[in-house]
Amino acid sequence: MAQESGAGASDYSLLEELGSGSFGTVFKAIQRSNSEVVAIKMIDLESSEDDIQEIQQEISVLSTCASPFVTQYKASFLRGHKLWIVMEFLGGGSCLDLLKPGTFNEAHIAIICRELLLGLEYLHQEGKIHRDIKAANVLLSTTGKVKLADFGVAAQLTNIKSQRNTFVGTPFWMAPEVIQQAGYDFKADIWSLGITAMELIHGEPPNAATHPMKVLFLIPKAPAPRLEGSNYSKEFKDFVAQCLVKDCDRRPSAKELLKHKFIRYAGKVEALQELIERKQEYDGARSRPSHPKFYQETLNTMSPKVDSDEWVFDTVKASTIAPKKSTTKRRKLSVIHANGQGLQAGPEDALKRLDLKDSPLEYSSPPPITVKKGTIRKQPSIVQLGSPIKHRQSSTQKRPLQPDMNFGNTGSTVRLFRRVSDNSTLAQVSDSAPGSIRDENRPQSTDTTTKEGVLGRRVFNKVIDPAFQELHAQTGNQAKREALSRLADAWSALDAVDPEGEYQMLKIMIERVQSDSKLSALLPQSKGTVKDGTPQATPQKPSGKLVLAQNNPHLASHRRRQSSMQPEGLREKLVNLPGQSVPGLEHTKQLADVLYGRWTDGLRNRWPAV
Amino acid sequence: MSFLFGRRPRTNTVDLPKQAKEQISRLDGPGAAVKAEELAKTLGQMKFVLQGTQETESSPEQVYQLVTGMIQEDLLYLLAINLYRLPFESRKDAQVIFSYVLRFRPATASPKSEPIALSYVINNRPEVLVELCNGYHHKESATPAGTVLREVLKSDAAAAIILYDDPNENTPGSKGLTGIQPETKQSGQGVFWKFFNWIDKGSFEVGADAFTTFRELLTKHKQIVAQYLATNFELFFDKYNNILVKSESYVTKRQSIKLLGEILLDRANYAVMTAYVDRGEHLKICMNLLRDDRKMVQYEGFHVFKVFVANPHKSIAVQKILLINRERLLTFLKHFLEDRTDDEQFIDEREFLIKQIKNMPPTPVEPTQKPALLGSQSR
Repeated sequence: MAQESGAGASDYSLLEELGSGSFGTVFKAIQRSNSEVVAIKMIDLESSEDDIQEIQQEISVLSTCASPFVTQYKASFLRGHKLWIVMEFLGGGSCLDLLKPGTFNEAHIAIICRELLLGLEYLHQEGKIHRDIKAANVLLSTTGKVKLADFGVAAQLTNIKSQRNTFVGTPFWMAPEVIQQAGYDFKADIWSLGITAMELIHGEPPNAATHPMKVLFLIPKAPAPRLEGSNYSKEFKDFVAQCLVKDCDRRPSAKELLKHKFIRYAGKVEALQELIERKQEYDGARSRPSHPKFYQETLNTMSPKVDSDEWVFDTVKASTIAPKKSTTKRRKLSVIHANGQGLQAGPEDALKRLDLKDSPLEYSSPPPITVKKGTIRKQPSIVQLGSPIKHRQSSTQKRPLQPDMNFGNTGSTVRLFRRVSDNSTLAQVSDSAPGSIRDENRPQSTDTTTKEGVLGRRVFNKVIDPAFQELHAQTGNQAKREALSRLADAWSALDAVDPEGEYQMLKIMIERVQSDSKLSALLPQSKGTVKDGTPQATPQKPSGKLVLAQNNPHLASHRRRQSSMQPEGLREKLVNLPGQSVPGLEHTKQLADVLYGRWTDGLRNRWPAV
Repeated sequence: MSFLFGRRPRTNTVDLPKQAKEQISRLDGPGAAVKAEELAKTLGQMKFVLQGTQETESSPEQVYQLVTGMIQEDLLYLLAINLYRLPFESRKDAQVIFSYVLRFRPATASPKSEPIALSYVINNRPEVLVELCNGYHHKESATPAGTVLREVLKSDAAAAIILYDDPNENTPGSKGLTGIQPETKQSGQGVFWKFFNWIDKGSFEVGADAFTTFRELLTKHKQIVAQYLATNFELFFDKYNNILVKSESYVTKRQSIKLLGEILLDRANYAVMTAYVDRGEHLKICMNLLRDDRKMVQYEGFHVFKVFVANPHKSIAVQKILLINRERLLTFLKHFLEDRTDDEQFIDEREFLIKQIKNMPPTPVEPTQKPALLGSQSR
């Protein structure tokens, strides 16, 4: 698995981040060899405990799909401990994104449903069950083509008649038989399609205001949701009713539904371009331009090891032992990509970085993440549940207690044994907690109109913040990390309030360093001043020469930031997640226990060794 | 699939295997592209006969005809060696065909009997299984071949065929199961030994699939594997440590350390485990894993390391290494992966190791018990 890794990655120029899912970040990229635009999903395997095999499963399902209605898989390879999965790029975004400006009309929904049915017909005939159909997993190309995406929980059956019991999916969209675990098949996807149709017309799935844990009990018990009222056509209402037949044996197949009147009269996919245009207008009308986030190589190497610390194997020289070799190598990799900077990241490096002359970007890296101090404590009750907790935390993380429709009613996909580790759970939460962390466009509290102010901001984004990130990532000691986080928070507070002061502060610091004969040696010659960072490239326009080098040293890695910056604070955040006892919902705890028991049972079925 | 039957008259089920064989034989000649297309159609028809559709059941009589026809025409072998040359959809069809054929039992047969085609392959045509493994030579065939293999590998006999395949063993007439001699050491030329390179050198997809199969082979057939590892201890762990554990690939490295831990801690492999942890060399590899710069590698390495330390009969070599590094180890373990605060089992085990190392006698003591495995004296 080693050979191709480097070569594969170098064929792609990474552009901006498209989004991040439950276990990875997706970047837009250009394949150098044929100038094709692709999407690359990067999964940090270091932050996942037990599930490399499951990621492989996802790849194997994807790589055996070839259908115009399914996002096309292209390649995958390893780069260090990140797995890159290259997929076809779909510029229209997901249906969930497209819902932001408003709900869809019936004509649009009919087209989308037809295309989805064609995709499902293909998958089902291939013995595959998607198991997570929802607006968030339906992508549109710029021309309006509709494609199924995210095969993270898809199943491949070796026998088309066989059934599954695994409890996966996203609660609001889950078919009753999946929740009841009485064995289900392809028909589960049809139910989810019906829910998705309702999601597209209402902007949210039925029961969206209900706690997802409660929904799990509601779906099998309550009558199937229906579209009601005179606002909707008879055909549409009937289509939804057909999809949402609770008895899966009586629920029609994809093939049968393709003959439904609502589908037969659906228009051309080009009509969906209206939705994409509407979204663009909507984005354009919003005050701030979007600040794309860019890829940057993460410094993989943590604390450099002191030689004297190595093991002694009397006759063998420690330095000749293999792992050491790989250490150096890995470090070198990062160094090369950081243009020689970042190797000895530390104070010296932070100082060197004051030289901003080769920064092509005016875009700031996302503003500092300040940890919101959660007020809810971690409930002790969940601890005794044992290992499933972890999975639960990661799998339901996107769902705050009070559904926040602004940030997508996606709910979260319940993934069996999802990529989780102690660290990643926290990191992932930071990825997905909307508003507090992920929204890099959140208003700055101070206007930065003066030149000093602009520079101050820049100093923060380019120098201070990355320096903290790096140092933090290299600090192993918990107490030191905490102290560092506090300092970082304090500095970001300064940045928010007084960027000019920030700039002055740094200026004075540099001057002082320069005036000290010993310290000034740390600064590179003739690079002591902060230069004007005129933007030289507009990154949104993908064209050969404007492509951002992935090794650009100034593209601070927000990922590292997110994954390493604030473990303590986030731990508190986790409490605000479904499945944990919360005032008013204590009754669900018992139910939760039962459900997670089932989860683990499902696990054991799949991996008897676990 | 019905569109397949629109253009040409439907071939009789009985004739399908013959037709497929003929089409495969022409894949090299002139008009290969046309033949490949025809073959694709034939395979599509075969799949249809075998699995029916979501609406219609397949007919057991037809399936029986097809399965026996395929055996007669040696079609399974031909499909296995040509798998990578088939078009995209046909490779998947071939995979489905293999799966159905290899698990088909006539309605009259006992549900515990071996499926007829599988039994034929195991006893008379083991090359089919070997060639399915060789599917890992090609990116195209890796996934379909691997999927079929993992299903077939539920059978102990099939696993034994793959483990004991050895082209150097020139014993004419002995084929399949009857030819296996578990006491004989492997030359390392057999198909099983190719897995190491497929895992380490293949592309991500190939390597990952090969590893999954490799793991099934080594974990699902406990008695066979325990015997196999004991007999081929040197060869196996030499390759395992040098190719897999020291791999440059993160995934290979991490997964193989984990699997190593699983193999060693399996009760059935007790003799192998004691022999393994007897070696100072192995401990060195393992201690270096603890110092890897990737946390999950450290973590997986820990689960192997603990076996060395917990062993009540540590060899002199192992004791020496631990004693020389005693202080370092104690300091190191104290802070080892300390952010794993809610992994109670890990914390307990770490504490246990610290105690064990602390309580070691200051000079190596001759162990009261030596590993049972032959040829694994401590060095």
